[in-house]
Amino acid sequence: MEKGLEQVGALPGVGGSFLCDNKGEVIVSSDPAVLATVTMSTIGREVGRVFVALETAKQPADRIDFVYNSWRLLAQDMRTAVFFVVCQPEVDMAIVRMTVEVVIAGWRKDANAQKRLHRHQAERAALVSRAVLDQGSWSSWTVLTSGGQPSLG
Amino acid sequence: MAEGLTGSLAQLPLVDLLKMLAAGGQTGRLELTSGLDQGAVYLAHGELVHAESDMITGEAAFVRLAGWPSGQFRFDPQVQAPRRSIEKPMDRLLADSARAASEREALRRVVPNMDVVPRLAKKAPGPTITIDGADWELLASVDGESTAAQMASARGIEDIDMAKTLYRLKLAGLVEMAMVQAAAPQQRALAGPGFFQALTSAIAEAMGPLAEIIIDDAVEDLGFNRATFPRDAVAALAERISGEIREPEKRVRFQQTMLQLLRAGQQAA
Repeated sequence: MEKGLEQVGALPGVGGSFLCDNKGEVIVSSDPAVLATVTMSTIGREVGRVFVALETAKQPADRIDFVYNSWRLLAQDMRTAVFFVVCQPEVDMAIVRMTVEVVIAGWRKDANAQKRLHRHQAERAALVSRAVLDQGSWSSWTVLTSGGQPSLG
Repeated sequence: MAEGLTGSLAQLPLVDLLKMLAAGGQTGRLELTSGLDQGAVYLAHGELVHAESDMITGEAAFVRLAGWPSGQFRFDPQVQAPRRSIEKPMDRLLADSARAASEREALRRVVPNMDVVPRLAKKAPGPTITIDGADWELLASVDGESTAAQMASARGIEDIDMAKTLYRLKLAGLVEMAMVQAAAPQQRALAGPGFFQALTSAIAEAMGPLAEIIIDDAVEDLGFNRATFPRDAVAALAERISGEIREPEKRVRFQQTMLQLLRAGQQAA
């Protein structure tokens, strides 16, 4: 898996990459790590929730491109994990996206990579529960699951 | 002793590494990676017998690998070469590689990139000038506005051939190179016919005989035609077309081919 991260990291405008499981835990990250582990985990968890929310809202996505003033973050859903690439704003994202697809296809054929992913297997839905969300997020979530109608109760 | 030998080419250059393995009479496969690029060199009893890099094999592949300034290596002893593609002794090959590197550097000093704008020299280099037909035709097409990439595209030749010709003309004192920023900051380097040829082959392999139509549709969707298609949009074009390939394996293979092509383009630029 590290080799795949190296391939992505070698692209112009890419600062690093990491892979988070469905609990937000970091499975593997580029070396040196592009962000602190706790930050990568937070991103992994929150973006995992976004993918669940989009699916629940019947707007499923398998890729999200977060564009900020000084950096860009590509999140590619693998279902069992989310692959993140941290880039500079002017990066050629088409090259990054194609490389990510090639790398993920390689992991799907790699028994060791599959073993590592299997060890981290978790239901993404567990990211969204009353126990782990704050009150505001939980209210938003219930609106989403009720088909967009806020409950009056 | 060479089992599990791995390391960085920046710390142990390929030339030194090969000399070391040759001196030890080693047999095996030396795997090399540099970013997305991969290659391998095979030794048999200390002799270089085969090299491969992307689609190239033999001496050309070796010369290419020897030009990598950095990367990683791993030596797997006892792995036999799939075939023999190199007959030259290692010393001569290393000398050839050094010469190729020196030529590339000389070329780069005169034609630093394909965005330079060739202009006719104001003063003749001498009272008599001898020039061959092909160079004269190119010289006649120098308009002082077109970039080297645009000239190559218009003449349907590869960038590297254009760069070599411009190098000759510059050394002969017939042209000067101006930076494109000063001449035409709005102009973008073009993808050129070579790119579209390679793209057609890759699409034909993945999607069959409709390659030309698929390309034209995608190019048009991006707001260009083949003659005006800029080099900095080729990745977007490749991605758009890859989205049309339904079979995942074929799509990934197409993407790999395109990424190789894009890398080659970046290196040439």
